[in-house]
Amino acid sequence: MTAQSEVVAPAMRPAMAAPVPVPVGIAAAAPMPDVLPPVKVRRGLWGFVYRNPAIAFGAALLIVMLLIALLAPLLATVDPTALAPARRTRDPSWQHWFGTDMMGRDIYSRVLYGTRVSLAVGFSVAILASVAGLAVGLVSGFVRWADGILMRVMDGMMSIPPILLAITLMALTRGSVGNVITAITIAEFPRVARLVRSVVLSLREQPYVDAAVAAGTRTPMIILRHILPNTLAPMTVQATYICASAMIVESILSFIGAGTPPIIPSWGNIMADGRALWQVKPFIVFFPAVFLSLTVLAVNMLGDGLRDLLDPRMAKRL
Amino acid sequence: MLAHIVRRILVTIPVMAFVALFVFSLLYIAPGDPAAVIAGDQASPEDVEKIRKSLGLDRPFLTRFGEWSWLILQGDLGTSMFTGMPVMTLIGQRLEPTLSLMAVTLVLSVAVAVPMGVAAAWKAGTWLDRGLMGFAVLAFSVPVFVVGYVLAYVFALELDWFPVQGYTPLARGLGPWLQNLVLPAIALGCVYIALIARITRASMLQVLQQDYIRTARAKGMAQGGILFVHALKNAAIPIVTVIGIGIALLIGGAVVTESVFAIPGLGRLTVDAILRRDYPLIQGIVLLFSFVYVLVNLVVDLLYTMLDPRIRY
Repeated sequence: MTAQSEVVAPAMRPAMAAPVPVPVGIAAAAPMPDVLPPVKVRRGLWGFVYRNPAIAFGAALLIVMLLIALLAPLLATVDPTALAPARRTRDPSWQHWFGTDMMGRDIYSRVLYGTRVSLAVGFSVAILASVAGLAVGLVSGFVRWADGILMRVMDGMMSIPPILLAITLMALTRGSVGNVITAITIAEFPRVARLVRSVVLSLREQPYVDAAVAAGTRTPMIILRHILPNTLAPMTVQATYICASAMIVESILSFIGAGTPPIIPSWGNIMADGRALWQVKPFIVFFPAVFLSLTVLAVNMLGDGLRDLLDPRMAKRL
Repeated sequence: MLAHIVRRILVTIPVMAFVALFVFSLLYIAPGDPAAVIAGDQASPEDVEKIRKSLGLDRPFLTRFGEWSWLILQGDLGTSMFTGMPVMTLIGQRLEPTLSLMAVTLVLSVAVAVPMGVAAAWKAGTWLDRGLMGFAVLAFSVPVFVVGYVLAYVFALELDWFPVQGYTPLARGLGPWLQNLVLPAIALGCVYIALIARITRASMLQVLQQDYIRTARAKGMAQGGILFVHALKNAAIPIVTVIGIGIALLIGGAVVTESVFAIPGLGRLTVDAILRRDYPLIQGIVLLFSFVYVLVNLVVDLLYTMLDPRIRY
């Protein structure tokens, strides 16, 4: 989190330590040895990794998870939905790396396929919530009369705790991945709308926007040219946090039985299956939990890294 | 000041009205016809129609919303479709465990998170800071129920320090009550602690750069005094704000934590209501939680003037 600011600082120091010109006739003191070694600027991919370890770690882990999701059919040992009543609740072994659940399904294969559900939910919610939030935020930042109404509605939605709102919406519909995505998006997007609105309101006061208005630029063009590019950085950071939160909410919904249909192997569902047996067979809950936590950690670290990279002033504050 | 309080309360009214409208629409668009459910399988369409008329279900949306709101203001949240009991009674029975859990979590989290954030800001950039903030990112990433299971497995099953599951009412003594709540409170508090610690650190970092901190240092004030008297007091507003906002995390997390630790509270009631599609009960719970959340943040808002006398309305 703080790595960014520390790496930058030494690079500026040699300039301040420039040699002081010595007046003629005065015995010059022996030149001071350089206190700081010359700054080695690393370039290329490794330089980026060195300067932004959080982004590198998060991105690498996320790429691994993406590969697992894409290659699940190749990596899985058996069909994740195949029932084998004879081999119920086996401990992890060579045949079943992560053991089997109450219905004899192979947990390793199920966890691999679960990656698909979590990533799909996380990415979809992040994108949809960003788009919806951007739309509402732009409208309420630019259309004065709509601002009051929209923000009261957003306040109302935000005053229902997000997990509770998502659970409630799921109670209205059948459990399906699409409905889970919709429910979490509705619960999350008011926060994006608030963020975009606050960025828009502060940008509107900027001299360059005034200049654009004075030059007769039309509002759509101002939004496209001056407002949107400036909302991109905070929105990207917000989107990663929403992605992380969506994956956790999905697992919570599935865990309490109000999420993805039990037939689909999602991490939340595998853990829900292991609930009854967690005292004797904790590995059923353990393996999906590790995968979920690692993935969310990767997204969170990516978000923290991006925040520090895109807004160095924030790096000091948070 | 009084005018401000009144104005602030007035602002929350449209918000609560929207929540009420939203929650009411929920029942309105919910699948399944209550009249058909009450009439039973044998009923003819005419009977269902009669029941619908007698319940007033055939009247326009806004009329029904008005009547429903009027009942809510009188403290009547309707009747549970599944048990046939008043929603108020059902909620009342489950209130104590949830309130206990949230209170213990709140106290524990603030007691841990604020010193954590202060220490991280004081030693900013050191390994202590990185370690604490690393823990915060980790705590954000592990779902509540996973923390709950790990804690229960290690400290209840293996070490046998705490009971595995269940709840003991406060009436049976402070000790047993607290013993049952320690593990759930830690599990529930993890994310909350991470959130408060991060904001505390950020807010403290800003305050520690101020001139009056340097002055305090120059006059020889003890480090602890500087941190906790001068700095923390001035850094308090964002911290108090996030404690208020974070209540949403506690409410959402309680639903799951209570399932893991088999605590018979509102969270369990919520899960049961969702699984049985008991819409009046869901409405009542959502409305209650949202009301509590709005109320907490109203109180936080009013606290600002007390924490910082410069803020006047």
